[in-house]
Amino acid sequence: MEQLRLGVDIGGTFTDILLLAPDGSVHSKKVLSTPDDYSRAIQDGIAQLMGEAGIKPAAVRECSHGTTVATNAIIEHKGVKVGLITTAGFRDVLEIGRFRLPRLYDLSFRKPEPLVERRLRLEVPERIGADGEVVEPLDLEAVDRASDQLVAEGVAAIAICFMNSYVNGAHERLAVERVRARHPALTVTASTEIVPQIQEYERTSTTVVNAYIRPVVERYVAALEQKLRGLQIKAPLMFMQSSGGILPGRTAAKSPVFIIESGPAAGVVGSQRLGEILKRRNLMVLDMGGTTAKATLIEDGKYDLSPEIEVGGRATAGHRLIQGAGYIVQFPTIDIAEVGAGGGSIAWLDAGGGLQVGPQSAGAVPGPVCYDLGGTEPTVTDANLLLGYINPAALVGGDLKLDFAKAERAVAGIGARLGLDVTGAAHGIHLIANANMMRALAGVSTERGRDPRNFVLLAMGGNGAVHAVGLAETLDISTILVPPVAGLFSALGLIFADVEHQLISAFYRLKDQATPADLNATLTPMIREIEEMLRSEGFNEAKRRELRCYADVQYVGQFGGLTVPLSGFPVTRKVMVDLAEGFGRAHLRTYGYRSDEEPLRFLALKVVGRGLAKEARVPRRVVRVDERAAARSERRAYFGPARGWITTPVVPRGALGRKPTDGPLIVEEYDATTVVGPGWRASLDSWNNIVMERKARR
Amino acid sequence: MARTPKRTARRSKPGAAARGTADAARKRPGRRPASRRAPAAKAGAGKGPRRPSPAPKRAAKVARAAPRRKFTIDPVARELIKNALVTIADNMVFSVIRTSRSTVVKQNLDFSAGILDSAGQLVAQGLSLPPHLGAMMPALDGVLKRFRHDIRPGDLFINNDPYEGGSHLNDIFAFKPVFAKGELICFNCVIAHHTDMGGRVPGGNASDSMEIYQEGFRIPPIKLYEGGKLNETFMRIMDKNVRMSVRVLGDLRAQVAAVNLAEKEMLKFCGEHDVRELKVYMQELIDYAERLTRASIAKLPDGDVSFTDYMDDNGVGIGPMKIQLRLIKKGDEVTVDYTGTSAQCGGALNPNIAFTRSCTYAGLRCVLDLNVPNNAGFYKPITVIAPEGTFVNPLFPAALGARGATGYRLRHAVMGLLAQLMPERMQACPGGSEFAVAMGGYFKDRTPFMSLEFHNTTGAGGGPDRDGQDGSPFAIGNLANTPMELIEAEAPVRYQRYGFLPDTDGAGKYRGCLGIVREYRFLADEATVQVRCDREFNPPWGLLGGQPASPQRSYLNPETENKRMPSKFIRVMKKGEVFRSEMPGGGGYGNPFERDAKVVAEDVRQGKLTLKRARDAYGVAVDPATFAVDEVETRRLRSGAAAA
Repeated sequence: MEQLRLGVDIGGTFTDILLLAPDGSVHSKKVLSTPDDYSRAIQDGIAQLMGEAGIKPAAVRECSHGTTVATNAIIEHKGVKVGLITTAGFRDVLEIGRFRLPRLYDLSFRKPEPLVERRLRLEVPERIGADGEVVEPLDLEAVDRASDQLVAEGVAAIAICFMNSYVNGAHERLAVERVRARHPALTVTASTEIVPQIQEYERTSTTVVNAYIRPVVERYVAALEQKLRGLQIKAPLMFMQSSGGILPGRTAAKSPVFIIESGPAAGVVGSQRLGEILKRRNLMVLDMGGTTAKATLIEDGKYDLSPEIEVGGRATAGHRLIQGAGYIVQFPTIDIAEVGAGGGSIAWLDAGGGLQVGPQSAGAVPGPVCYDLGGTEPTVTDANLLLGYINPAALVGGDLKLDFAKAERAVAGIGARLGLDVTGAAHGIHLIANANMMRALAGVSTERGRDPRNFVLLAMGGNGAVHAVGLAETLDISTILVPPVAGLFSALGLIFADVEHQLISAFYRLKDQATPADLNATLTPMIREIEEMLRSEGFNEAKRRELRCYADVQYVGQFGGLTVPLSGFPVTRKVMVDLAEGFGRAHLRTYGYRSDEEPLRFLALKVVGRGLAKEARVPRRVVRVDERAAARSERRAYFGPARGWITTPVVPRGALGRKPTDGPLIVEEYDATTVVGPGWRASLDSWNNIVMERKARR
Repeated sequence: MARTPKRTARRSKPGAAARGTADAARKRPGRRPASRRAPAAKAGAGKGPRRPSPAPKRAAKVARAAPRRKFTIDPVARELIKNALVTIADNMVFSVIRTSRSTVVKQNLDFSAGILDSAGQLVAQGLSLPPHLGAMMPALDGVLKRFRHDIRPGDLFINNDPYEGGSHLNDIFAFKPVFAKGELICFNCVIAHHTDMGGRVPGGNASDSMEIYQEGFRIPPIKLYEGGKLNETFMRIMDKNVRMSVRVLGDLRAQVAAVNLAEKEMLKFCGEHDVRELKVYMQELIDYAERLTRASIAKLPDGDVSFTDYMDDNGVGIGPMKIQLRLIKKGDEVTVDYTGTSAQCGGALNPNIAFTRSCTYAGLRCVLDLNVPNNAGFYKPITVIAPEGTFVNPLFPAALGARGATGYRLRHAVMGLLAQLMPERMQACPGGSEFAVAMGGYFKDRTPFMSLEFHNTTGAGGGPDRDGQDGSPFAIGNLANTPMELIEAEAPVRYQRYGFLPDTDGAGKYRGCLGIVREYRFLADEATVQVRCDREFNPPWGLLGGQPASPQRSYLNPETENKRMPSKFIRVMKKGEVFRSEMPGGGGYGNPFERDAKVVAEDVRQGKLTLKRARDAYGVAVDPATFAVDEVETRRLRSGAAAA
């Protein structure tokens, strides 16, 4: 076994470790995360996995990592003390924010406290105008005084953000050089180094978040690299970024805001790559874990990026339009809708006697009642257990024993208050969890005018395939895929991703007032920079570097814009014409209309550079080699009042073949369960996915 | 189970003119259990105060004990149907966002979507602005009054007439009746705020209009589509009567597209369900919301309390306008009575009765269970009394265009009213002055510029256990501030300052948020600037010994002449002139001398309070070097005050 690729994905509860060989065979391991030092569980888990599988460290050629360490540093307020230097008159921009409210009528809402307290936000005289002209020169001595004062206050990092720096970053660059020269030990971040984009609050917030977590992430990257070296793994450590590519650890450490949605992004990238191989270009991805369910749409082989995210806001079933609960970060992030519906979501009764599920979750501790770890409130997992969907004895290959009777008592309790028997109550909980997940799925499909019938549902996460059939029936979707290692699919996705760098430059002007030469003047240095980065990472041959230029464009007066690829570089008249047409088409696709008579405005220019690996990223087939082949068995499972209890065969994935088997059927694996409902049939495709298809309707 | 539109339409209104409905409803035989609490369900626009009588409520309880349903409601099915209807309503919301043209709709999300049953009762609502709460029912009532016997498949109704159930002219309501198997199932509704409806001032926001005729194009309930056919004549007339008609008509089409989309989804849903059963569940959802609301109201203490707040003036310089409120809470019902409020005024700040109700409901929602579905059941236990001819229920042809500002005051006043009932639960008045500024003019090359910016609020008032957070959002509204860089990129203006104003908090044991200053330097040779704000003479109030916040102050050229300006003015600004708006903070809660001295010192350390104010307002002496509390001096200051 040579040329192994290692994927490590940290979740809130478990750390998933996965080794992929070129022939597609997979070794995997799920270990409990060690939140005091996440790198410990990784080290131990890798050592165990390699030991069990008899793999030598030298065989590991790549190592990709998805981590929550950046997000956790923010949520748990474990970042460093930061000082902010900003334009005179505007030090409170960070604390005032945008007056957004995540939930109306909630008098108890408090927005998160600013990451830099007011006395550590210092102003210096300077002003750049909206056209980029210097209205007032930067007072460098004031910068010195400010940085000295902040250092005296004991800050570990300084963020610098000036008004209108997105059009002209000269003052920020001067200030950064000055502070770095004067205080070399300090971490200094300027807004234009991260996101030179319009909107002062969002840009300041991004810069401050970056400064706040950078030392933490730097330490983490260093510690993890050291532990990998200790394991004799020489492959460079790469990190998944929120936009879907991987980055070297040192880049991620410098710009940790790039890796905030690291883990969720990996699952989506994996799905997209899988879709490419299978030639299934329209996928609706559902990832249902313990506390939340996430939905993403892959359309025509592409996922959408949203221009900004909020960090630290809790997942809600509310509208994605309403914000304010977290810290805003301007970085292109894979657009994922999330609702608080997972296996651990708790069922409860509201004051009107209505059955509700989540968003409160029993988490891993105390966990569902059936885990017998102290949980007393019935959860979705308890309901699924009573309905016969999941193994009544144990989960994760026997490692986690379940207490059926306890779960039964808890669900019976809530059922009694509803006038329902245990089965009715359990089925009700299952259906309402489905309804909650429908909100996430609708959020990425019907809410955007997409017809779900044109998509294949890709179900992952430990619970995704337990609920997939019910969701597909509601959405009128007729095909469901359950990939191998569905419960650790994010770790697999990490391995499928390419190296990717992204540079953004503000370019705020009317399209009619911008010439091709203007665009080229901005793009040329960006392209040079990205090429340099890729070369330094070993992508020396030109054919292994793939560069694409994009423009963010809007109809004048719109909120935000759409990212449209440029048809070529250098930019010519024709490229400009293509761009207008491309935008019109993108607008029609996204919003349902185009209006060519309206003027266009550029917001920003982007260059994305990918480093292409020599070999194919995705194998032709993935098979878990360490699957303990479960014996065939059967148990009774409940499929709604019309069909009732049905004695259902329980089989391992390998028991399925190319020829479809009729449901009802349950496929049990180490990390996931798939419930094939009546009216559906299941087979395996060449990649080893379970393919569920709805039989012709009556 | 199914009721005719005729019967319910009369009862369902929180619409206008409903005298006598209560009695009619009470006498009606065979009413369904949950909706028969007539006096409470009634939301009459009576002239005098009206007390709810306790008697019918008891009757209601008896009736509830004997349900007459043919089958049992399945709680799981109810939840799933609720979800499905809310999803359909949400999809209307997203359809509008996708297809509308104006920033008012797209960016400010100034629209709402919902589904009403065949009798005109709201069943499910998607995203909704607080000032649109309950607004769909009176507007549909206006439609039903004219068309009750003439509603057919393919019809689509619109209405923007504040005197026939609408809100203000810019809000156009679109209603699509949905028929399944020949039976009227429901109405899909989208309300959208339109960029312009004609009238003397672009945007229709002027506070100095004197009658509704000045405010623009009034559309009584009409069929925009009849049997699927568009009324082209109307569209042509509308096209000639509004500014930026491409945008306005585009937004109207977006409304039409959304209610039509929801019709498709609704019919699909009807195909999967027994239609009669669905109707029963729709009623059950309303009853369920009513049960939740009543249970939630019952948890509040009983009482009879009053509160008064003011608008500085009526929009044409005469004031103050008094808003007098009384709340009677008994058992599981609430009455809010505006008797004693100033008479209607000449300006355009009057909210019509529908808007007054919406704001009242929104205020009450803050103390009720947040999980109550937003439908007709929520309104049934709540009675709003607003005598005709007053500021809050003006008679035709009063102007209403700028009632948005008053809407904030009404919500503040309801919060104050609730604070009288539950001082241990409510916060003092939120900060802010409903500040709005419109700038317009021409660049040198004669291309026009126009920029409109709202900065309604500054943060929360102090509460029973914590400060009003600086820069926090208003709980009963959700309008973001506008990025300065965006405005600078589009209009010839440069901001000079945007930040907290030290010492502008309402002092208290728990202080209110700080006020905020925003300063504009005008860069065009000339710009016409219209400013609208309030709270210059009636600053945000405190509670239980908490102090009011600083008032609104507006200045011209603060660095030179520093001229005080009134809260509402329109003026041509020359190049280089500066306008400074000092927006009020939030009111304080409790005696400032009981405030934790360390917290006061921390505010001083953060530059949010000056040493002097710490001393004068809070009786706390702070060491200017170390920011430590001088305990001895503080004790002396505070005991001196106690003695005084």
